[in-house]
Amino acid sequence: MADSHRTDELLIPLHVRYIQNLGKSTDELAYHMTAHLRMNAIYWGLTALCIMGHQDALDREETIDFVMSCWDEEAGGFGAHPDHDAHILSTLSAIQILVTQDALDRLDVDRVVKCKLILSLQQPSGVFAGDSFGETDTRFLYCAVNALSLLGRLSELDVERTVSYIRQCRNYDGGFGATAGAESHAAQVFVCVAALAILDSLDEVDHQTLCWWLSERQLPNGGLNGRPEKLEDVCYSFWVLSALSILNKITWIDADKLVSFILSAQDPELGGIADRPGDMADVFHTVFGVAGLSLLGYPGLVDLDPVYCMPASIIEARGLRKGWKSLPRRAE
Amino acid sequence: MASAQITDNPLLFAERPEWQDVVPLEQYEGVRPLAPIFYTPEYKDATDYFRGIVKSGEKSPRVLDLTENIIRQNPAHYSAWQYRYKTLMALNAPLDEELRLMDELAVKYLKTYQVWHHRRLLVQQTCKPAPELEFIASCLQVDAKNYHTWSYRQWLLAHFNDAALWANELEFVDRMLDADVRNNSAWHHRFFVVFQSGVRQGEEDRNDVVRRELTYVKVKISFAPNNASAWNYLRGVLDISKTPYSAFTSFVTPYCEAEPPQLDDTSTDIMDLDDPLPSQDAQLPCTAAIEFMADIHERLGGDSLRVAIDHWSSLANTHDTSRKKYWEYRIREALSNVH
Repeated sequence: MADSHRTDELLIPLHVRYIQNLGKSTDELAYHMTAHLRMNAIYWGLTALCIMGHQDALDREETIDFVMSCWDEEAGGFGAHPDHDAHILSTLSAIQILVTQDALDRLDVDRVVKCKLILSLQQPSGVFAGDSFGETDTRFLYCAVNALSLLGRLSELDVERTVSYIRQCRNYDGGFGATAGAESHAAQVFVCVAALAILDSLDEVDHQTLCWWLSERQLPNGGLNGRPEKLEDVCYSFWVLSALSILNKITWIDADKLVSFILSAQDPELGGIADRPGDMADVFHTVFGVAGLSLLGYPGLVDLDPVYCMPASIIEARGLRKGWKSLPRRAE
Repeated sequence: MASAQITDNPLLFAERPEWQDVVPLEQYEGVRPLAPIFYTPEYKDATDYFRGIVKSGEKSPRVLDLTENIIRQNPAHYSAWQYRYKTLMALNAPLDEELRLMDELAVKYLKTYQVWHHRRLLVQQTCKPAPELEFIASCLQVDAKNYHTWSYRQWLLAHFNDAALWANELEFVDRMLDADVRNNSAWHHRFFVVFQSGVRQGEEDRNDVVRRELTYVKVKISFAPNNASAWNYLRGVLDISKTPYSAFTSFVTPYCEAEPPQLDDTSTDIMDLDDPLPSQDAQLPCTAAIEFMADIHERLGGDSLRVAIDHWSSLANTHDTSRKKYWEYRIREALSNVH
């Protein structure tokens, strides 16, 4: 019988075991439904472990083997799971996992870059599709920019066309949407701002208005929502905070209240973090909860690069660090 | 074409005689999985046969049965959606029927990207956008702020750009805001319809349009003052029309007070449309109004900056302490601009 822990501190050992046990889930229904997210899930789990200082909790060779087993030779990219079609979301996660595990040498970088997948997915307007099915979204634009940057091939991108599309996604409230004209949403704000950061084009942002809009996401209970009059959700701790961090305005929200909110969403028996207190935990909210805590300077965590959502030291070592600012790490 | 509910035919594909010619392919051929997934027998069976079909490239009516089966079990299986679409095209299948099936799935799986993207592809083929407006409205009855649903509506209007499609759109937004004045998606859509989709017949007098919108948002604010979306909309309209914020001083003033105004006996029920007052049960002072009043004074400059600073201080210390650092930033910026 698991002990019930307090939730006024981050229960690192519990969360580490939670992530390790993800592969052994016997909850069949929920598990089989997430095959299309498997690559993303491993990136989320690995990144959460890195932030908590336990990168070795997952076997390095196994994660690399899994990534390579998802290689789609025809498309020149990665699917979410062996035999799934390649998609830009899973391709980015695959690259991020390989970089984190220092195994980029397993990849034929030329093939990925020149292949049909990443660069050919850009439409004339500058937006990116996710795959040949054609769904377009600024999330995919971010994935392409991030992936090319990690591979050291950003020069292959038509930067002007890409930035011009992001500009079209800017709304009257200073925020950004999924496509030109779409409602401002914190997750889309993150992908647009992070992409602009990588492309050294943050002057496209109305800093004051957007950062005010982002700070307005904080609700009286300390949690953050994604757009006005919606519910708080732990994942916005990352989307909102990282955007504020990139724009050097992370002090514009109440850090203590947000830390309390994230901690209260932990599952003190089984581990993991949920979208809000009382709900079921999942690896998606776990990584974004600890990512938010890291940016807020929570003691004992590893520094996170908010642009790439990967350990800051890894990004810095590749010469990719941009001018973002998180809160100073508090002593334990 | 009868849709193949899982419950209609409880047999696995492996048990169906008409599928015997297909070679199902296992998921893990030659691969050591990091995390073996324990599928339900039904899902494993359907996806094994899907892999077999994809390998052979078959595009027949039974493929539609199979992909529908998979989608009902897992609406996010994007490969199944893609292959289904290719099969529909190859068969020259009746897309109106496909849309009826999608009507059912869209409501069940509202938060799935693929359901909406597939619909987009179908409507691009049928070129019959009008019935979609009614369908979208019914989805919004179920989930009034669904991001994909609103996005799809916007795409539909912009892509076909038909006067008949636009004709009742403002009325539609009105109904949505009557149902929930705090629906940010509806406010955003209003801005799109009025200001970001060209000029339609009857709306050529832009000054008139701006006046109409400013009146509209003032009435909505008086009805429910603590509504961020309405105040954002107000700012959006003022910015796009280059109307000075100071034109709104008399409107905003009562919302900055701690109490709603005491109406005397001679007051009537007729609302002053120029300066509609906060309703008697409004929670005052309204933080957004104080913010707006600060902005008015900041823009006026000179001595007015001190008034702005007073307002920001009250926000930092009393009315909006979560964002204290932001309000202190505004004060610092204003002080550094004083000279």
